[in-house]
Amino acid sequence: MAGETVIETRALSKTYRDFWGRPKVRALKALDLEIKQGEIFGLLGPNGSGKTTTIKLLLGLLFPTEGQALVFGKDATDVSKNQRIGYLPEESYLYRFLNAEETLDFYGRLFDIPHDVLKERIDSLIKTVGLERARKRQLKEYSKGMTRRIGLAQALINEPELILLDEPTSGLDPIGTREMKDMIIRLREQGKTVVMCSHLLADVQDVCDRIAILHQGELKELGRVDSLLTLADVTQIRAKRLPQPCIDEIQQVIARHQGELLTVEHPTTTLEELFLSIVRDSEARPGRRVVQEASSNS
Amino acid sequence: MVLEHQPIPFLTWLLGLPWSENSAFLESALFRFILTGFAVSVLALVVGYLIALVRNGPLKAGDITYRVIVNGIAELFRTSARRVWAIARLSIKETLRRRVLVALAIYIIILLFAGWFLQTGYREPGKLFFSFVLTATTYLVLMIALLVSAFSLPNDFKSKTIYTVVTKPVRASDIVLGRILGFTIVGTVLLAIMAVCGAAFVWRMLDHTHAIQLDSLENVVDASGKVVGKKGRTTTNMQHFHEVEIYPDGTGKAASTNEHEHQITSETRGGDTVYTLSGPEGLLRARVPYYGSLHFLDRKGVDVAKGVSVGSEWTYRSFIEGGTPAAAIWTFSNINEQTLGTDEKGAQILPLELVVRVFRTFKGNIEKGIQGVAQLRNPDNKTIKSEPWTFTAKDASINQFPWSRKLNDADNKPIDLLKDLVTEDGRVEVVVQCLDHAQYYGFAQPDCYIRLPDGSPLWNFVKAQVSIWIQMVLVISIGVTCSTLVNAPVAMMFTIAFITLGFFRQFFVDVAIGKQVGGGPLESLYRIVTQMNQTSPLPEGFGTQLISSIDIVLKMMMQSVTYILPDFRSFSTVDYVAYGYNIPMNQLAQDLIVCGTYVLGLFIIGYFLLRTREVAK
Repeated sequence: MAGETVIETRALSKTYRDFWGRPKVRALKALDLEIKQGEIFGLLGPNGSGKTTTIKLLLGLLFPTEGQALVFGKDATDVSKNQRIGYLPEESYLYRFLNAEETLDFYGRLFDIPHDVLKERIDSLIKTVGLERARKRQLKEYSKGMTRRIGLAQALINEPELILLDEPTSGLDPIGTREMKDMIIRLREQGKTVVMCSHLLADVQDVCDRIAILHQGELKELGRVDSLLTLADVTQIRAKRLPQPCIDEIQQVIARHQGELLTVEHPTTTLEELFLSIVRDSEARPGRRVVQEASSNS
Repeated sequence: MVLEHQPIPFLTWLLGLPWSENSAFLESALFRFILTGFAVSVLALVVGYLIALVRNGPLKAGDITYRVIVNGIAELFRTSARRVWAIARLSIKETLRRRVLVALAIYIIILLFAGWFLQTGYREPGKLFFSFVLTATTYLVLMIALLVSAFSLPNDFKSKTIYTVVTKPVRASDIVLGRILGFTIVGTVLLAIMAVCGAAFVWRMLDHTHAIQLDSLENVVDASGKVVGKKGRTTTNMQHFHEVEIYPDGTGKAASTNEHEHQITSETRGGDTVYTLSGPEGLLRARVPYYGSLHFLDRKGVDVAKGVSVGSEWTYRSFIEGGTPAAAIWTFSNINEQTLGTDEKGAQILPLELVVRVFRTFKGNIEKGIQGVAQLRNPDNKTIKSEPWTFTAKDASINQFPWSRKLNDADNKPIDLLKDLVTEDGRVEVVVQCLDHAQYYGFAQPDCYIRLPDGSPLWNFVKAQVSIWIQMVLVISIGVTCSTLVNAPVAMMFTIAFITLGFFRQFFVDVAIGKQVGGGPLESLYRIVTQMNQTSPLPEGFGTQLISSIDIVLKMMMQSVTYILPDFRSFSTVDYVAYGYNIPMNQLAQDLIVCGTYVLGLFIIGYFLLRTREVAK
């Protein structure tokens, strides 16, 4: 990636403490990440792996126990960085007594957006997320899918350069999921940086340029999605119009029966398989960690 | 009316002016504020460092503390009016949609039925209705303020809506200030509506008239048998009636009953005389008193600061014995032409009023008051005195002495009040004695005053609302500040504790400085558990010694708390309006400044608490 560095974490660690300040859980262990402008970056990991903790640390919602998180070159706890950030939380934590317009108006005012600009932006965002008919309804009457949409709209109210999405497709139907993914890709086309975390591997596979896989607070895998999923030692042949009896001896039969050979290439695994294998491996050999340089070469 | 602390002049209070004495500024409110602010800041710094020290070690703790202060102060100035207003608007919508208006409905229902349960024979109606309305308003408004302020931020934390707010360029100061502002606006609107309803209720309950009971009228004849008027009584309305007196010209007066009177006019219609009574006069008042300073003479005629005690634990008033040289002497200063008022006929008078508490050592005729005498005296030449003015006073009565400017001295020679009784620098003395042997009069300094022209009762009512508003803003600020740190129930408990301590501040101070019998907190707990008398000494032993030692530490902590504890009772002006006295603007201004300072201090504390708090868990 040629763009400037948007997010950088240096040995970022987070230990949760109990009331008396005693360490309770080490949620994140010395995370080193660098995310460039224009990327769609996926954070993957099972429940409790430290994905959301990472996002919260990047937003300044949590303070790091050790290490540092820099966003646009500023410390993550610096409020002024929020001017350029949009955040869609895991569940849309919005004021349920406001309607869609009031919600966007409220968040827009927090950015000090001029009144007329804000009005236009509210109109266009409501249209973009498809809530025109529900714009005057209170959020407490919204379905989960609608709440996600208004949540996304509020994350985009300031036309952010960096968008952090926590489980963006959770609670959306297949059409909604498709639309969300298209939206994320459109955001990249506009030159924005997107960081998302998700359990839904197919979604991550579809949209992310690079991913990081976390497990038990440690970074287990980091790299480009296409290279991570390429299986170098396997050859795949895809064929069409093959009669059933020839399948068993497929290699010879293709030539003898003048079948049409379509492609011969290195196949890819699904992200799901990669993910599961990493988690299994990590559980079998705890403590193995990925070093950023090594993975970016792969 | 009881006035335990008379307000000091505004500039003396704020800046200690005039600075003729060296220590004047050191006792001023501003200096005490600076000192307290400094002490609280240092304390906060030390506590903050200690917490960081436990978690991060000495060096990093120093770094963290330094950065919190430097960045915190820099960020404080990035507070944006637009963001504050956005949060305030949100708070307003939140409270309204949480159905806070139900409180208003409750208030109106209380007022609607108040007429039923306030039937006490219409005695002291002004006092009854005003104190009822103002007290109800105060409690209701404070309760709402407490609930909305203590619950809203913790609710944001609980529902995690705070995540979407603090990830915008919002400063902690915007949130704290916005919340305080929003709730204050809602509270102000509620208070204004309650005030209008309350005023309508009081004015309606006080406004009434009577008709004359015609069969009670009988002619009044003088010695020569000539009819000089009529007398009789009115009909009973609002649980009372008046004796009436009608003069030969057809006008008349319904005599003062239950603190008010009515004027009577008459006209002839078709050969019959029709009498009409005016509305009540004297129920709505805002007396503006001008106070003097008080000292006493004991029963031997010797100057003393206080009179005798009649055994009351409350030492506000002290007493003079009847039939002895004992006297209460007030000295008024700055008396001049402007101080004088005019009577109905336009003559100049010095309108003096005297509140008398009576203590009887024998019952006597309980219907009859106790006799006393009042005299004006020249402070420089005590032989120049006015003619004695004898009066009979019942307990807790307000007696009026409209001293005419042209009056007679003790030898019945005509003198001029201003020229002969008032000194060149404007001082005059009022000497009051009790005449009945073995009966006592009790006085405190504010019991005698010159009554300046009355203020507007409506304006006085508005000023009382301002005092309620001040208390409301304080509660909101305390609630919001607490809620930046702890969850809703704890924030509420803390705020309630703060208010309660504020209401019983004097007691708290007395315990802290050891003036209260029964010892400190632990000692009194020990006495309660062992059912021990408050005054008997503690048994010797290690346990009690330990208790006393811990109490010393606790008392020192309590003493430091008293410096930041607001005196809630002093903010209440209900009594002024209920007893018909004007609320001094001076006091209101001081209260407003005190309130503003608390808001500022609490805002800064809340800002740092919220800023240093991890929003997520």
